[in-house]
Amino acid sequence: MSDPVIETIDLVKKFKDIVAVNKVSFKVMRKEIYGLLGPNGAGKTTTINILITLLKPTSGQAFVDGIDVVKSPEKVRKKIGVVFQDPSLDVFLTAYENMYIHGKIYGLGGKELERRIKELLDFVELKPFADKVVRYFSGGMRRRLEIARALLHDPDILILDEPTLGLDPQTRNKIWEYIKAVRKERGITILMTTHYMDEAEFLCDRISIMDHGRIIAEGTPEQLKSIIGSDVVLIKFSDTQKPMCLDNDLDGAIISCRSVSGNRVELVVRDAVKTLPRIFEEYERKGMVIEEISYRRPTLNEVFIYLTGRELRDSLEDQPRPIHRWR
Amino acid sequence: MYSFIRSLNYFYTMIYRQVKRFLRARSRVVVSIVQPILWIFLFGMGMGGVFNFQNPMIDAFIRQQFNGLDYMTFLLTGIVAMSIFIGSFISGVSVIFDKQFGFLKETLVSPAPREIILLGRAVGDSLVLLINASIVLALGFMISNQLRPEGVLPALSYGFVLSIGFASLGIAIASRMNSMEGFQMLMNLLIMPLQFVSGIFFPIQRMPDWMQIIAKINPLTYAVDGIRYWLTGRSEFDPMIDIILLMILSIIFLVIAMWSFRKATIED
Repeated sequence: MSDPVIETIDLVKKFKDIVAVNKVSFKVMRKEIYGLLGPNGAGKTTTINILITLLKPTSGQAFVDGIDVVKSPEKVRKKIGVVFQDPSLDVFLTAYENMYIHGKIYGLGGKELERRIKELLDFVELKPFADKVVRYFSGGMRRRLEIARALLHDPDILILDEPTLGLDPQTRNKIWEYIKAVRKERGITILMTTHYMDEAEFLCDRISIMDHGRIIAEGTPEQLKSIIGSDVVLIKFSDTQKPMCLDNDLDGAIISCRSVSGNRVELVVRDAVKTLPRIFEEYERKGMVIEEISYRRPTLNEVFIYLTGRELRDSLEDQPRPIHRWR
Repeated sequence: MYSFIRSLNYFYTMIYRQVKRFLRARSRVVVSIVQPILWIFLFGMGMGGVFNFQNPMIDAFIRQQFNGLDYMTFLLTGIVAMSIFIGSFISGVSVIFDKQFGFLKETLVSPAPREIILLGRAVGDSLVLLINASIVLALGFMISNQLRPEGVLPALSYGFVLSIGFASLGIAIASRMNSMEGFQMLMNLLIMPLQFVSGIFFPIQRMPDWMQIIAKINPLTYAVDGIRYWLTGRSEFDPMIDIILLMILSIIFLVIAMWSFRKATIED
């Protein structure tokens, strides 16, 4: 039960002089949903590609179910089901044919294969489209088909690389439901990457936050948030006033402060309930008029900012990743 | 034994996929049949007219230049080989297509050995091309009376070895490339000289010496000659030598393809 299903030890991958993955070590336990969270270029996909035997590490080791991915890639391939970041369906074949070919190259066949294809197409609600050519499928339908396909050979481990990239919120929720259901009904281990904080928070039991090829923090979403160990207070000032931070940290009660859009400042404080009255007092003494104030538990984004000094969101929106689909 | 049956299964699956895919792309089916037919009609009839003098003596002399065949039959047998050659050579483009559309990764993470995947692809594409060639050949029987029906099967088996060889070479090249346009340009560049220096359009014995040397190292030459022999009984070389050389060259291309396909990870 407590033995790791996936384990990497000091994994390093260099592309020429770029270090994409830098001494990454983590363990994924059985039946766990484990997330690698980080901006584009953090090394998540490279780590996944090493685990699924598409890349060889420069140094370090990686094991899937105790099998060394470099020494016995064939054995590893039998254990895993993969949903790639980029589409990987044959768009000229039907949903059923895509499933059929996958089943065949994983050694399934006959009535059993037919039954499983139907069951899984049903699971992802694509049964009515089984004989339609994939070229006419929407992005969400393709993703669902890819998930069904990855489960077809009943893998012990499901690996999802950015499973909801480029999908609309409604479709994302649907995919999340499937992922939760897969774990619940099949009890398999899931390793996924994402740069959506809400996705990691909603789905993952444990998360590693990656940045520049390194794991900079690991734990359950709650544990990660407790790194900040505090609440986030948002204060809006009246339009006539310039938002400003206090020069006084109220005896260490205020951990950090920064101005954000909409004439507001964002404070990270140790205990919002006790600190709020003192914040009011302090601003009043400075002659500032507070128009609105609210506080909430920190999100993983704040954890990321705290750890790296950068926004996770920035890197996401600065370089939208074009999805290569044709026709 | 068990793993052999499983390999056979992977092999059959890749054939299934290539054939299905081809048949679904109707434009490809039509073009690959219409193109050789256009060659036969436009080039064959145009050129055939040049070689027709309505004079038994001159005509007999001209036939002598074309292994004793009338020009239409000479060309037609060559075009059958050419359609298989071009079709198989450019079939490697599907590797690039699969790279761009991600399906290649799907096969690379599967437990099926890469060699079997590659062989299945090549054989799948070859089968489709042989069906095409048979259609072209059926037309040939309608316009030429010098063809031998009993030679069709041996001729198609020469065509099969030819297509495995060039499909392999195409895959080997495609494994190292990422752009479909680039691949197509390169193929056009290679196809042109190979098809002219192979005896499809004119006999090798009448070529200048330097060209004959090139023709003799061109694998296509032996396929054209062998196919022509089985279909008409006339050839420039011994058909046994044709098939032996063709097999050796195809196996070499296949080994190169396996090697480069195995190396084709997503790193390049």
